[in-house]
This record gives sequence, C-alpha cells and structure tokens, in this order.
Amino acid sequence: MNVVVLLKQVPDTETKIRISGDGKSIDTSDIKWIMNPYDEYAVEAALRLQGSAGAKVTILSMGPERVVESIRTALAMGADQGVLVDDPGTEGSDALGKAQVLAAALRSLEFDLVFCGHRAVDDDENQVGIMVAELLGIPHLGLAVSVEIEDGKVKIQRPIEGARVTLEGVLPALVTFGGAHAVWNPRYASLPGIMKAKKKPLETKTIADLGLAPEDVGVQAAKVKVTAMELPAERQAGRKLEGETADKAKELVRLLHEEAKVI
Amino acid sequence: MQPGHFPANILFVLIFLAANGFFLFTVYKLYRIMRLGEPEDRFDRTWERLKGVATFVLGQRRVVNEPAGWGHFFIFWGFVIITIGSIETFGVGIYHGFAYWKFLGKGVTSVLYLLQDLLCFAVVVALFVALYRRFVIKPDRLLYDDQRAANLDASVIIGLILFLVLLLLGARAVEYLLGQNEATRYFPKWAFISVALADLFKGLSEEALHGWYSFFWWSHTLIILVFLVYIPFSKHLHILGAIPNVFFRRFSSIGELAKMDLEDESAETFGVSKIEEFTWKQLLDLYACTECGRCSENCPATLTGKPLSPKLTIHHLREHLQKKGKALLAQHGREEAEALNPEGELGRALVGEICQHDELWSCTTCGNCMEHCPVFIEHIHKYVDMRRYLVLMESSFPAEVQNVMRNWETNSNPWGLGFASRGDWAKGLPVKTLAEDSQVEYLFYVGCAGSFDERAKKISGAMVKLLNEAGVSFAILGAEEKCCGETARRLGNEYLFQTMAAELVETINSYGVQKIVTTCPHGYNCLKNEYPQFGVSWEVYHHSEFLAKLQRDGRLQTKLAMDKHLVFHDSCYLGRYNSIYDQPRTLLRSISGLRFSEMDRSRNKSFCCGAGGGRMWMEETLGDRKINEARTEQALALEPDIIGVSCPFCTTMFEDGIKDRNMEEEVKVYDIAELLAQTINSEKK
Repeated sequence: MNVVVLLKQVPDTETKIRISGDGKSIDTSDIKWIMNPYDEYAVEAALRLQGSAGAKVTILSMGPERVVESIRTALAMGADQGVLVDDPGTEGSDALGKAQVLAAALRSLEFDLVFCGHRAVDDDENQVGIMVAELLGIPHLGLAVSVEIEDGKVKIQRPIEGARVTLEGVLPALVTFGGAHAVWNPRYASLPGIMKAKKKPLETKTIADLGLAPEDVGVQAAKVKVTAMELPAERQAGRKLEGETADKAKELVRLLHEEAKVI
Repeated sequence: MQPGHFPANILFVLIFLAANGFFLFTVYKLYRIMRLGEPEDRFDRTWERLKGVATFVLGQRRVVNEPAGWGHFFIFWGFVIITIGSIETFGVGIYHGFAYWKFLGKGVTSVLYLLQDLLCFAVVVALFVALYRRFVIKPDRLLYDDQRAANLDASVIIGLILFLVLLLLGARAVEYLLGQNEATRYFPKWAFISVALADLFKGLSEEALHGWYSFFWWSHTLIILVFLVYIPFSKHLHILGAIPNVFFRRFSSIGELAKMDLEDESAETFGVSKIEEFTWKQLLDLYACTECGRCSENCPATLTGKPLSPKLTIHHLREHLQKKGKALLAQHGREEAEALNPEGELGRALVGEICQHDELWSCTTCGNCMEHCPVFIEHIHKYVDMRRYLVLMESSFPAEVQNVMRNWETNSNPWGLGFASRGDWAKGLPVKTLAEDSQVEYLFYVGCAGSFDERAKKISGAMVKLLNEAGVSFAILGAEEKCCGETARRLGNEYLFQTMAAELVETINSYGVQKIVTTCPHGYNCLKNEYPQFGVSWEVYHHSEFLAKLQRDGRLQTKLAMDKHLVFHDSCYLGRYNSIYDQPRTLLRSISGLRFSEMDRSRNKSFCCGAGGGRMWMEETLGDRKINEARTEQALALEPDIIGVSCPFCTTMFEDGIKDRNMEEEVKVYDIAELLAQTINSEKK
C-alpha cells in the first residue's frame, strides 16, 4: 500500500508576523518554518499504517528549498521518501493552482491513499486537500481523528457536534486530518531516524517535469487573489480600578460605555 | 593440632591456599565483568588520585561526616591493623616460632599489639552500635526492597567480624600466659586488654592453655578465610571496590556530562540500554557501594516518596551486572550468549526492568547523592545515560516533555514563545545589544527564564540596574540570544543540546566576547563546565560571584537597610555543582538590618527545589508530595519574611510552594540581585 502525505511548510505559530511592503503578503525574513501541525497528524497517521499494514509513505510538498527541512523532519519520523515541487513559477498560486500542481505530482506517483491536514495554519483556506481529491476524481473523507484500512476500504471517524460519525470510502481516496496534538501525539524523531533521514531519497521536480505549462499555475493563473493584509490592533495593557467598590463599579460602567463602547 | 607444627601447618597451608585461590578467582571474574564496560580514561593526575585515597580512604573524610561514620572509621582502622596482625598469625600457622618481635623488635611490636588491643575494643563497640542501628533504630537509609536479604548479609558480616575480633583477643590472652613461661615467646604487656582478659585463663595447666590457644588460633584464622571467601558475594565487596573507586574518581565538575559522538556513522545505538554499555568506571562504582544509604537519605525524590532511591538503583544494577556479567563471560560471544539465554538475566532489560522509566525521570540531578557518597559513586551520569537511550533511540519520555523539546527546536526556549521576542524584556531599559556595541567587556547571558518568564524578567531588570550602577561594560544578545541547551541535555536529548550549543557558540563567537555573566545557575554551569567541549574557553560568572566581586572592589555599595528576616536557599547547580556557597551569603550579609537564617539542609546539603534535570517541565504526579512543597516547608519553618534564592527556577518553585499555602502576602521570594537592587538606591535605573 502506498500513502502519499501532502505537507505544507508554515511559519511557526509563535512567529511575530510582519506585513511586507506590498501590503498583501507577509515578510518571510526571520521566520521559523515548521511543518503544518495538521499535516503532521497526517504524517503520524500514515506512519501508523506503515507500522500496521506495511504502507510505503511518501511526502509530497511544494515550495522553495527551505521546505526540504520539513520533509526531512517527516523522513526522520519514519516516512520512506520525499518529493518536492520546487519551481518559482508556482509562487502566488491560489488554492486551485496549488491543488493542480499537487494533483499533477500525484499522477506521477503510485498511491492508494492521500493524506493531508484539513487546513494549513498560515492562510487557513481549507481547500487544497478537497480540490486535489476532485482533480484526481477520488473520494474525499474530511477531518479524520482516526483512520483504518479494512477490506480494501478506508474508514475514518470525524467528531461532529456531540457525537462521532464513521465514514467509509473506496480506495484510492484522500483523507484530511483534524483533531489536535493530544489526539494524534505525533512521534518524536529518534536519533537513528534523523541520521537515516539524511540518506532517504528526496526528489525535486519542476512544473515542467509534471507536464504543466507555466501559464497554468502561479500568480497569473490565480482566480483568487489576496488584495490586502493587516495585523490585528495591538492589545492594550489591562487597567486596574482603585477605590471604593461603589466608585469602582461606577467607573467601570462609564469606561465600558464611553471608551469600550460595549454597553 | 598445635598451629605451626607438622602436620597442622601442612593442613593450614592447604586451606589457606584454597581460600586465597578461590578469592582471587572470584575477584578476577569480577574484574573481567567490570572490563566488559566501555573504555574511559581515568588514569591522569596520579599524584592527586593517591592523595584522594589518603584523604577519603585512610582519612575516611566523607564517611565521618555523619556520626554513624565514626563506627566505620574504627572498624576500617581495626581492619587495617588486624590485617597487619593477621600476617603474623598466618606466619605462625606455617612455623610456630614465627613472631614479629624477632624482626621488628620489641618496641614496635609493643605499639602494634597495643593498637590491636585498642582497635579490637573499638571494633566490638562499633559493631554493637551497628547492630543497634540496624535492628533497633532502623534509619530510613537502611531500608531495602528485600529487607531480609539485606539484614542477613549485614548480620553475617557483623557476626564474622565480631567473632574474628573476640577470638583474636582470646588467642592473645592465652599467648600472654604462655609467654610468661616460655622463653621463646614474647608478649608485650602494653596490650593491656589481652593481659586483663588473661585472668579468665589463669590457673589452667600448660596443656590446657595450649589447647585453648589452638582453638582460638584455628577458629580466628578460619573465620578470616571464610570472610575472605564471602566478601565478593556480599555488599562488603566495597572493601575491594571502594579504594580503586576513590582513586579513579572524577575530577571534572559533576556538572559536566560526557559529550556523545553523534557523528559516528557506525554507532548502532546511543545512550545506555545494556549494563555493559556503561564505562568500566561506572561499573566499578557498583562494586564500591556498601549501601550506606547516604545518597537516598539526601535525595529529594526518595524523601518525597518518588519511585527513585539512588541506593536501590546501584544495588539493582550491581545484582544485574554480576548475574549478566557471569552469563556473558560464560558464553563465547555476546550475541551467542543472548541467543542462548533469552529468558534469564541476559533477557532482562536494563531500562524498563532493572531501572524503571519513572525512576529515571524522577531524578532532579541535584547531586546530593554524589556529594555525600563516601566512595564517589556517580549516580547522575548513569541516570542521564539511560535517559539518553530512551530519548535518542526510543523517543520515549513523559508526554509533556515532547512539547518542550519542540519548543526548543522551533523557538530556542522551553515555553515556545516566539524567538524574535527574546530581547523584549529589555525594552526601555538602559541596556545595549552586542549588535549595537560589540566592544563591551561582558556579555550578560540572560537565558530563557530571564528573557521569557514574567517573574524572572524582573531579576534580569535588577541585574541590569546593578551592572549599570557598578559601571560594568556589558551588553546582551537580545533577540539573537539562544537557549544554552542545558535542560535538553539533562533530559537526555544530546542531539538537541549539541544543535543548540553549536548555534549559541557561533553567535557568541561572532562578537568575540570572552567574558560572560549570567543569572541562571543552569546556564552558568553549562556554559562554564560543558561548553569547553565545543572548543570555547570563556570566562563565565554567575551573578552571585560577579556581584560579590564588584562589591569587594567597592563598585557596588548597599545603602538602604532592610529590616527583614531572610532564609537563603542554595541552588544545586551553584552550590554542589560549582562550590559557590559563600558569595551569595556575603552579598546578603552586606545589607544592613537583614537578619539571616540557615536551614538544616543548606550549603552542600541543600535540598533541591524540584526543578532540576528537566523536572521543571514535567508533571509531578508521583510520590507523597511535591518536592517544592517539602522545600518550601523547610524554609517556612524558620518563619522568614523573605526566601532568598539565586536561580530563576528556584524562584518559581518557591513562589508556587508559597502560593499553595496562601502565604504570598507574608513571605516573598527574591533573587539576590533583586535584594541588592532594592538597597543600592541608585538614581540610575
């Protein structure tokens, strides 16, 4: 069985985000990049299938060379090989553009299952995984918190309001992952894992290798464009009211009404 | 069977050779088992090593730190002097006319016999005290998981020594009487105890005296030989293990963990998961232990009911080593041996069975065990070696630690706060970064707590105030600063530590600063004692010693009085790890009006706050109570207004302990830098 995990590299959630000069993107200097946490759950789920069903796990990602580090992290966790689509032409792609690149790359790979996070924590679009399934014409099972293979079918569980629903899909299929760190507890790479990861195959491809034309992807093909980005207002320091309780209550009401304008 | 006459002498020589042969054979086997360990160089500084033996073996320096140790002092010296006497006894067994006075003269012999008499008496007293302790007082440190076996072993040894000594005195008494009639004998009258005991045998016939003499001589001699044969199988193996263990003791700070070679492509495993993966010195440690229990008596984990007792760890490791070692030696090769004996000792896992996971993770690396071990056993390094195996090979550690490790990886601090905000604590304070001015004398290495922890940031601020007050030329790294990796290393993540260390070394070296001052004892120990492994030779100061030096030089004067009662808590990594006890006290005593108290467990007996060795980042769910609660209680018992500390982690642990008791209004926790900053009354900020 072959499992391909779609992996996105995102800024660490603690990163101090700065908007770059064009007002439409973030300044990527001085950012610590990590594997998208939901994709990490997907890697963990794939590695569990590797352990239980002998699945071969391939990591597929797109982006500049820095992404290699995150792919190596997944390889250190135990994935077997990596593929990176590294082409400046893909820059500025919208979700559909990215999905097209990934779908094209998947067509060149063997797979029974495609795993990915249900969203990436940077732009929160919630689209790429579903679009890839659509482009490949395979079923999509979303927001899994558990996954198993039974009689050639994939079975997942998804939490819904106050309950859990179990879905079953035929292979090949695409599963997106939800849950939280505590649900998946992604493994911590061992030292031999880290050492082996350095020698595992990691292939780099361009869009030409995938048979895509430059006009199919990138900013010129994007149907959705970011027009502006702004930071939330900086949080003000808290204020402590002093004095008698009655005065404090009066002052609080006044502030809520006049300054905060919430009452 | 008069000793020394034919055929008794032949019989004696045969028994003597058999016992010694058996003894040497057993010891040789133990030696071979020890040599199964990995290599380690402990052959430098021979002269200092010999001096160590003089101080700690002959002088029993650490043994007598405890009242009970004086009993051992006398038993030890009794053993030495009686052994000198035994050579004469054995000589008599070969030829009845053998006697020391014929070689050494009557004067020396008199002194020797007097000493023997006195020490025999002291030994008998000490043995009864030992029995009383073991069976009546029953101190905690003599507790075992298998109490019966331990008591039996101790009783056999005490019994053998007791009879050995009493029978020797008996023989001497009779010898004295015989010496009065036989011109060929000489018995010094100085041996007054033997002479007094002779009264018991007065009036007996010459023949009867010879009979008694034979009885005493043979039984005394046989007990010595039984003792000799028994030793290697008992905890009294320490008689053989302790002397070399003291000789080969570690000279480097206990705060220096060995650097692992992570580049080694041929390495199949990292850390220690098999007993024979310890170094030979670590195995010699096991032979040296006599299970006195001082380690456990001072261990914060043991004392708060955690599943860790350093004494029992060593005990279990030795039992395992002896059984597994024998099996390994019996087979042709290790691999075959393991294939042949999967169910026996060879099949028992060192990590998980002999040493439990919880046991390994309970250690705070406070160093109290090593500080008080009379024979210099190195417990902490064993725990860390096994943690290294768990982390590097098995990725197995308490769940909460994984987040912390990721935080270090992504943001170079355990809280996982954005690395770019590392220097934010200094906003608005009069402090430069090295990037702004690299021509400063000192780097103030703030550390993770001082940069990110709200409470510890105040300590960093106080430090800045003091450094400016004293006119010290310094700067910080600001956002460029990285974690030193100390805690990751103690958690066994040597890979992460080395990665972080390499980054920090590169950053600091890029500015060429050579002198570093820090407020965190953990960073201090790591930069000072461990970073030389990465090719640097910085001068590193903890702020307590640095501020004390500034004060000595007249650059920092306390002006305001403080009418408070303070209890000072020694940080493990400052005190035991780096022998800094006096400097913080000198600083605090310079504050007028401040009344100063010491806890019972202070200075080198200081009780860990519970945060060391990565415990800061683990839940403390095991045991009867939390370590910080126990320590806070010890401090509060003295009814202080202030608990003085010198470490940001101790600050947190005490403040938590005080909050749990709802006493945060009455008792404050302050770092020495904060207390000084409060009293210098500077206009400068």
